[in-house]
Amino acid sequence: MGLVIAVISGKGGVGKTTATANIGLGIAQNNKRCVVVDFDIGQRNLDMILGLENRVVYDLVQVMDKEATLRQALIRSKVDENMFFLAASQTKDKTVLTSAKVQKLVANLKKEFDFVILDAPAGIESGYEHTIEFADVAIVVVNPEVSSIRDADRAIGILDSKSQKVKEGHEVGKYLIINRIVPAMVKSGEMLRSQDILEILSINLLGKVPEDRGVIDASNQGRPIILDKNSQAGQAYKRIAGRLCGQEVPMLDIESNEKGIFGKLAGMFS
Amino acid sequence: MKGNQFSVKVYETVVENEEQFISFFDNNYTLFKDHLISIRGHLSKEIRDYLKSKELNYVHNKTIPRSRPRKEVENELIKESIEIKEDLAKLSEQVKNNLTVLDTIVRSGREIKIEGDLLLLNRVNSGATIETSGNIIMTDAVEGNVRCHGSFLMMGPSPKANIIFNGIVVENDLLKDKLNKIELINHRIVITPVLKKEKSWV
Repeated sequence: MGLVIAVISGKGGVGKTTATANIGLGIAQNNKRCVVVDFDIGQRNLDMILGLENRVVYDLVQVMDKEATLRQALIRSKVDENMFFLAASQTKDKTVLTSAKVQKLVANLKKEFDFVILDAPAGIESGYEHTIEFADVAIVVVNPEVSSIRDADRAIGILDSKSQKVKEGHEVGKYLIINRIVPAMVKSGEMLRSQDILEILSINLLGKVPEDRGVIDASNQGRPIILDKNSQAGQAYKRIAGRLCGQEVPMLDIESNEKGIFGKLAGMFS
Repeated sequence: MKGNQFSVKVYETVVENEEQFISFFDNNYTLFKDHLISIRGHLSKEIRDYLKSKELNYVHNKTIPRSRPRKEVENELIKESIEIKEDLAKLSEQVKNNLTVLDTIVRSGREIKIEGDLLLLNRVNSGATIETSGNIIMTDAVEGNVRCHGSFLMMGPSPKANIIFNGIVVENDLLKDKLNKIELINHRIVITPVLKKEKSWV
């Protein structure tokens, strides 16, 4: 049975879909069978970021309504054979989702894959609730700014009350990705420090991703940044995927941006 | 006041036959000389003189309080103490019913309304609201809204919190110490430190 991960953020535009695509690909690179599912019904983006927009024939709503089989709707990634994608419907809206339909779909995906990653829509409406309802763990993506953190806090609160696992008396694992960190701004005090964010949200840290100019171009090209070996953000996602696959990957202090002991010493006296 | 408490042995009897009485006391003199003799009924002059001559202490037709068996006394004492305990239990129940202790994080969007007092041992995040009819003590960081209608409110320095105490806005700058007590005295907000700020030597 696979692990169902919901990628959530509350606020839009913090990099949820980018994180989903990169983590999915990263897990696949670790030789695990992985499917990423776009749950943002009516506003699908994940297909573009994965470069699979022209391959979408059937979407998850059609699978739920039995207009297509799961096998027909699953799209294999061009870059990694372990990675699959299930598209959202672009023409319908999130009101078509029901708990029973989502539960069935998630259960079927769990049987086939090691990791099932659900890309939640922004906001905290029904579409979001259906995404988290049957998730085993949640990855919370935030940017180091107050509005993103407050919205994530709200999303976590809803997760803690609406998730099926919580209703059964278990706890949903919650892991934090701090995205788009600008080390210089953290240093100058303009940007929130990671430890402050962790204190506010009080969940475990999964990884920190620095701001990277390459991300936008990677999305436009449909080649997730994790494929770029020179990208700092790509490397950060690689480490995150490794941690999710159970590897011990040390947390890099990307905020101080200085490498090695000399850099740290220099930082102390500057 | 000083006093001593001691027990006395009492022999209580009725004079039926004077000769018999005198011979009984003559025979058992050694036993009765330390006793208090309580005589009920008629007491003749002869007997009185006899008791006096023998220097025996006696009382006539007096009610002497009897000590009850130890067990009975103990039981009564226990009963009294139970009654006291029950009162305490009632009081603590009252406090318990009135006090809510929360140790979960209060996240954005959550609204907690409490009748009575609240002890909160975790954060109140931005966008969350805490409202009580009683007092509040908060030990962790507060960034949300606080509405307290009790007689006091205790919290640490909270530059981002929105605090309204009995309908009056509390200025965040006034909460300087590690734990501050906010009270309403004569329609004025009074803030006193409960725990002083820890000194940092770094």
